[in-house]
Amino acid sequence: MDVWRSIILKNLNLFAEGLWVTTQICVIAFCVACALGLGACLVRLYVRPLRLPATIYIEFCRNTPIYVQLLWVNYVWPDLFGWPQSFFAAGWMALALQSSGYLAETFRAGIEGVDRGHLQAAHSLGMSPFLTFRSIILPQALLNMAPSIMNQFLVLVKSSTLVSVIAVPDLMYQAMRLTAIWFQPIEILSFTAFLYILIVFCLSHAFKLYADRLRGRYGLAMA
Amino acid sequence: METLAAGTARRDASPVPSDKGLAKAAEDAVVLRVSDVHKAFGDLKVLNGISFDLRRGDVMSVIGASGSGKSTLLRCINQLDPPTAGEIYLNGVPFGFRVDASGKRTPDSLSNINRLRQDVGMVFQQFNLWPHMSVLRNITEAPVRVRKMAKAEARELAEQLLAKVNLLDKRDEYPARLSGGQQQRVAIARALAMNPKVMMFDEATSSLDPELTGEVLDVMRGLGEEGMTMLVVTHEMGFAREASNRVMFIHEGRVEEDGPPEQVFDNPKSERCRAFLSKSYR
Amino acid sequence: MESFKEAVDISLFWEYRSLLLGGLAFNFYTWISALVLVHVMGFSMCMMRLSRVGACRAVGTAYAELFRNTPEYILLTWVHFVLPLLLSVLLQTRLNFPPFLSAVLALGLAYSGYMVETYRSGIQAVPKGHIEAGRALGMSSIDITFRIVLPQAIRNVLPEMLNQMVSLFKATTLVSLIAVPDLLYNVVIVTQEEMRPLPLYTWAAIVYCVIIFTASTLVRWLTERWRSRGWA
Repeated sequence: MDVWRSIILKNLNLFAEGLWVTTQICVIAFCVACALGLGACLVRLYVRPLRLPATIYIEFCRNTPIYVQLLWVNYVWPDLFGWPQSFFAAGWMALALQSSGYLAETFRAGIEGVDRGHLQAAHSLGMSPFLTFRSIILPQALLNMAPSIMNQFLVLVKSSTLVSVIAVPDLMYQAMRLTAIWFQPIEILSFTAFLYILIVFCLSHAFKLYADRLRGRYGLAMA
Repeated sequence: METLAAGTARRDASPVPSDKGLAKAAEDAVVLRVSDVHKAFGDLKVLNGISFDLRRGDVMSVIGASGSGKSTLLRCINQLDPPTAGEIYLNGVPFGFRVDASGKRTPDSLSNINRLRQDVGMVFQQFNLWPHMSVLRNITEAPVRVRKMAKAEARELAEQLLAKVNLLDKRDEYPARLSGGQQQRVAIARALAMNPKVMMFDEATSSLDPELTGEVLDVMRGLGEEGMTMLVVTHEMGFAREASNRVMFIHEGRVEEDGPPEQVFDNPKSERCRAFLSKSYR
Repeated sequence: MESFKEAVDISLFWEYRSLLLGGLAFNFYTWISALVLVHVMGFSMCMMRLSRVGACRAVGTAYAELFRNTPEYILLTWVHFVLPLLLSVLLQTRLNFPPFLSAVLALGLAYSGYMVETYRSGIQAVPKGHIEAGRALGMSSIDITFRIVLPQAIRNVLPEMLNQMVSLFKATTLVSLIAVPDLLYNVVIVTQEEMRPLPLYTWAAIVYCVIIFTASTLVRWLTERWRSRGWA
């Protein structure tokens, strides 16, 4: 209990700072991942000549361990592309890279899963391909894939602990630093683990509730 | 209330200039001309030269065994599956191909095809309402985005059409909450909202429970009585006999029989048609 | 362009091949050992979860939720640094986990959480009528479980299970964080000596990517074969 009072409560601000960094990095990484994933998926599906590069990109992102990608982006990209110059940017870029591969496949499954009849109905009304995509295909794909997309965000939150390895001061980083200073791993690491579990648990249930409500609103079966 | 379909018919029936002959007037009345249309999927020949004219106000039922090419014919007409050979004209305008100065025919651009498709309403067996849009938006989407109609105007039009198919109270529901018959009536309203010159029905009642087919057939019958030009692929022999003024029997991708219902049903010339009808009427 | 050439230059990686590829063996050891734990815990906790006894059900559900929602990295550090301390206090001895043991425990626990759900979805997808048919024939519940339910359940979820096994292999790269000398760990060591991160990290990424891509392609191919035979 002493440890609890003297270390954890005293350093709550550090935990809060770490949590804020975790939040930022997850949100940025997820937005970038969605953009990259959608782009890669669209190129793969609709731009014939670029299908192979897009497929290679997607498979590389999906099949390389996140930790390897993190170190790769952090140590190799600055020399290769002159970017990223900060650990923070390397962190979100690596997370985004990994997730974009999975999201691309999720979007593809969603797009290919749209009933062909719905598309023919759009064509028969004279809708252009772009209009059909924007108002028929994409909304349905997003609706059907909402649970998978949200799940990918949870995976990203869990992977974000790894950015502490390249000295991004996220929640995990603060926990490891406090452990190194005070050497009281039991309380500090358990408390941190508890925080992460709580966050992921609450998010996953909130997402599930939201996804069910979304589908319920359209009178569709629960996912 | 002047209904939409009737309005269309009246507007289109503009006075024929007096110096043109009767033959020309008859020619003008042809809304849809299908001329020697062939369609093959790989080696499988589905349509083997289908020709017919559909005049303004015609309600033509297309009957035939499953696999005879009825649905493919409709899909060829509005270019969902472009025909392998043959021509389709909508109000005298080539549909799906272009003839250049030297007389060579080339496939038309998609934007031109889409422009013509707006004049051909299509109702599908599986309704194909978009599940993520309310009933009202299912109907207004195409007029607003394709015809660039003002939203308020499209809304008013949609409500008129919903009233016509007796579903005004469902305008804010989502399709998944409607019965099959209700969904199909919405789908008809959706097609009508584009103010089409021809309505095509692809087995519109085949996936409905028997007790729900009546409400859809009633709407279709009403449309025909208002003067809408219709091409109806159906298994409902009662509808074909009573609500249409022409019946076409297709067998193996060929027109075997084409005439008024009394002739086709009571006095078919073709042996195959007789066999088909005797099976259907058992 | 120079740096690009440096990045794809395989000579350094090749020079240390025995060390680096020897490290790859640790990825496989960890993978195999963790797999055993994953299936043992996954299956038994799934049985708890589906049990008729409320307390068992609560334990199974809590277990699955706990490990599914824990980031692997924090579980790894917790098992490596905290668990031995807790056990030392409990058993009144000084205890230390070798890194390999911690790695296997942590990854095994983390992925068994998913496996509980996988087993469960497979079992629940078996039509109730099949169980009733077994009962009607007078089969015991053990016979029904092992001869009717499980064979079907495993067919239902085999593709998903294989995918999770591939994911587990991906996660084995994390063990380098607690100094299990796997491929990535050795890459970090060699980088410190040679100061040439570009080719080493790039080739580590390529090697992992090729292995995992091959595995997941194999899974996809097998899945399609089974599906076409109406098997899975």
